[in-house]
Amino acid sequence: MDNGVVIRTRNLSKVYRDFWGRQKVRALKALDLEIRCGEVFGLLGPNGSGKTTTIKLLLGLIFPTSGDAEVLGKQASDVTKNERIGYLPEESYLYRFLNAEETLDFYGRLFNMSSAERRQRAKELIELVGLQVARRRQLREYSKGMTRRIGLAQALINDPELILLDEPTSGLDPIGTREMKDLILDLKSKGKTIVMSSHLLADVQDVCDRIAILHQGELKELGRVDDLLKLEDVMELRVAGLSEAAREELVATIERNGAELVSIDHPTTTLEDLFLQIVRDSEARPGRRVTAATTDASATADGTPAE
Amino acid sequence: MIIEAPLPAFADWWAGAATWWLIVVGLLGAAVLVLGLIGAIVRQGPVAGPRSFVRFVGSALGDLVRMSPRRVGAIMRLAVLESVRRMVLAVFVVFIVILLFAGWYLDPGTNEPAKLYLSFLLSTTSYLVLLLALLLSVFSLPNDIRNRTIYTVVTKPVRPSELVLGRILGFSLIGTAMLAATGIASYVFVVRGLDHTHEVVVDSLVAGDSGNLTGRTSLDNGHRHEVRIGADGNGRADVAQDHWHSITAQQRGTETIYEVGPPQGMLEARVPIVGTLLFTDRQGRVGETAQDVGKESKYRSWIEGGTQGSAMYTFAGVTPEQFPDGLPVELNLGVFRTHKGDVSKGILGSIILRNPDNPEIAAAPLNFVAEEYRSDLKRFARELTTSDGDKLDLFADLAPDGRIEVKIVCLEPGQYYGMAPTDVYLRARDASFAGNMFKAYVGIWLQMVVITAIGVTLSTFLNAAVAMLGTFALILAGFARGFIDDVANNQVLGGGPLESLIRLVTQANVSTPLEPGLSTTIAQTFDDLYQGLLRAVVELIPDLGVLSQVGRLANGFNIPADGVAVHMVMTLGYVAPIFVAGYVLLKMREVAG
Ligand SMILES: Nc1ncnc2c1ncn2[C@@H]1O[C@H](COP(=O)(O)OP(=O)(O)OP(=O)(O)O)[C@@H](O)[C@H]1O
Ligand SMILES: [Mg+2]
Repeated sequence: MDNGVVIRTRNLSKVYRDFWGRQKVRALKALDLEIRCGEVFGLLGPNGSGKTTTIKLLLGLIFPTSGDAEVLGKQASDVTKNERIGYLPEESYLYRFLNAEETLDFYGRLFNMSSAERRQRAKELIELVGLQVARRRQLREYSKGMTRRIGLAQALINDPELILLDEPTSGLDPIGTREMKDLILDLKSKGKTIVMSSHLLADVQDVCDRIAILHQGELKELGRVDDLLKLEDVMELRVAGLSEAAREELVATIERNGAELVSIDHPTTTLEDLFLQIVRDSEARPGRRVTAATTDASATADGTPAE
Repeated sequence: MIIEAPLPAFADWWAGAATWWLIVVGLLGAAVLVLGLIGAIVRQGPVAGPRSFVRFVGSALGDLVRMSPRRVGAIMRLAVLESVRRMVLAVFVVFIVILLFAGWYLDPGTNEPAKLYLSFLLSTTSYLVLLLALLLSVFSLPNDIRNRTIYTVVTKPVRPSELVLGRILGFSLIGTAMLAATGIASYVFVVRGLDHTHEVVVDSLVAGDSGNLTGRTSLDNGHRHEVRIGADGNGRADVAQDHWHSITAQQRGTETIYEVGPPQGMLEARVPIVGTLLFTDRQGRVGETAQDVGKESKYRSWIEGGTQGSAMYTFAGVTPEQFPDGLPVELNLGVFRTHKGDVSKGILGSIILRNPDNPEIAAAPLNFVAEEYRSDLKRFARELTTSDGDKLDLFADLAPDGRIEVKIVCLEPGQYYGMAPTDVYLRARDASFAGNMFKAYVGIWLQMVVITAIGVTLSTFLNAAVAMLGTFALILAGFARGFIDDVANNQVLGGGPLESLIRLVTQANVSTPLEPGLSTTIAQTFDDLYQGLLRAVVELIPDLGVLSQVGRLANGFNIPADGVAVHMVMTLGYVAPIFVAGYVLLKMREVAG
């Protein structure tokens, strides 16, 4: 790993071929990329733009048609690099006949971890992803979000330095999404390098330091998120308790200075914020009905207190 | 035919087998390497191609050397859990239980019930277990690839060698458990199913001279025995359905109660000592074969009754220490009638023990009646007499250096005895039947391991259905390997395909050599190559048939431990290159295609 470069691809290209060797799709075209130690890197792009393909190439799951990829200073096809890598696939491809503990135990064995180490690590991770109650249930009974969580735990079993997350928030509820984002930031604060792909712009914006935007297998944009998103010639004002008169005065001042007023409005909170707040409330006071009126009505109607 | 050709002794076998193995595996490996290098050059050019090829080979060797027992164990456990949790095993247990129930309908009243029971139970249960091995091994990897569970596995530091070996071991472990269960069940089933006793029908007893009684037993398990009871009240129920019983008498007041013991001679593991065989034809000329009646293969020769035709077996190692109770000679002759005679009776013949170096010294002929392939044990006491009534010592006179000749002639004109080298042998001792059954199961176990390895290896690069068909085809070919060998090695008249073509075009006779010349040389070289290729391909088919010795067990012969050792090493010789091929193929493929 010279000067902190964790991943380096040169002219990395992938052409999917069919059984007869005929060209089907050019999924990735001459990608040159450098990802440095300790950053959160986002691969962005619409469906079918080559994000998953890039990640698979980095992991050696598929072989490049031309060009090469170096990961942690080793060839992508070298299995020893996997010692320090964690990978969460697009969907959690796990053995459905194992339960959560067995799953983590199995992957721990693949890292040659001792039995005490495996038990310790499995316990921590199950707590981290919040699956304590379901740890003995076979994964076939898991919901999509639960599967996603155990998939994440599996990716972290070896305390990896480099973590590749393919659409980490897909299938997660808003809380799960928030937790996932917090977790990514937490991992970053521990000095891990994270590469994630997503087409959810908000997710990427919240956590990524740098992003690459792919479209039809081509790299379209590469840079720091704040640089890319900053609109140098627009300014936002957020004011509370402003009187109508004061507001008109402000508008007049702006016009007088020859600037253009783009919008002036009451801000709304986002649905994400609202939903999060409701759920947090209900967790803080379990059992409370959503509005006070309905709770009282039901309690008096049949004489039993609402649970 | 009772026993097939004897198994090779390990000491005689291993050196030649190891050399042959090295040649085949070496040539194959070299061919694969050369093809791989050419392929790499074609795809990546003359500089990058060889470099990436060398890197690949180095990494593949690393996969072999750096396998971790814990990771192999993890994959193995996964394979076992997978089969258990998917209820595959439960289904098979049900199948095998059904099969054992079907066994209740086997008729214990047939001529050779032990043979029937053993061959039915062992072949059906073994086919089921082999089928299980086929299904388990072939579906596992393709399922992993299709469900993409392989993504989370191969992105761990696990090597393809570990993925393949772990699976082979895991599924073999399951096969082992299934074989152990079916083995124990079959053993109990056979022993219990054949166990029976009779009562002596007292009314049937007729007094003979010198106080002997003869009569018969009650009808049990579909048969009854003739009974002979001596003056002391003890006797035996004569051989019927391949077994006999001992009878002891007990006096209760005035009544004599006859107790019939358990069946004997039914579940046995005879240890034969075979000798060398020479024949004389009807004019008395000595040769390695006698008359061929065109009935069976050349393996067995036929001697004609009432002529000078005879078979002479020479056995070594005949010493008083080895045979303190005299010489047990067992015969299993083929019988061929040119006229019917009395079909229910057998064909009369006689045995003459002779000194091989001095045929003048010979014991008086012992007459016997041969029935087609019915084992007949003749025990010669140490004191013998010549035809003239002089005394002879079995060891001192007939086998002074430990070698003795057993000469067999047929006495009925127009009838024939058929004999092969293993048809007459000295029955030195019997081994444990349970042990023999265990060895038979070891043979099936070896087949199961080879099939598992083939299945896993084919499934590294084929989808499940194709891998299953391929494995199945290899299994069939493996059981028919002996036959295929003959075809591949056959020196067909008229030469190989190209030479035959030339003969066809030029209308040359198949037996006259072709005129020497360039075209002939080219044709014959091509044919030699073709023949070599064919043989090489045949070498790639594991000889599954030879691994199992169920026939020997069912026929009541001991499976020599030495032979089992040979088969174990053979199995290792098959499985090791199959495993290497499997993981290299897996390494080469994109698991996320
Ligand atoms: N195994 C395959 N065989 C053939 N084509 C494939 C294969 N996998 C992917 N592709 C094609 O390659 C292109 C890129 O696919 P990829 O999965 O990398 O997209 P993505 O950016 O991850 O999309 P998404 O956001 O939907 O996950 C697509 O056109 C896809 O159809
Ligand atoms: Mg994708």
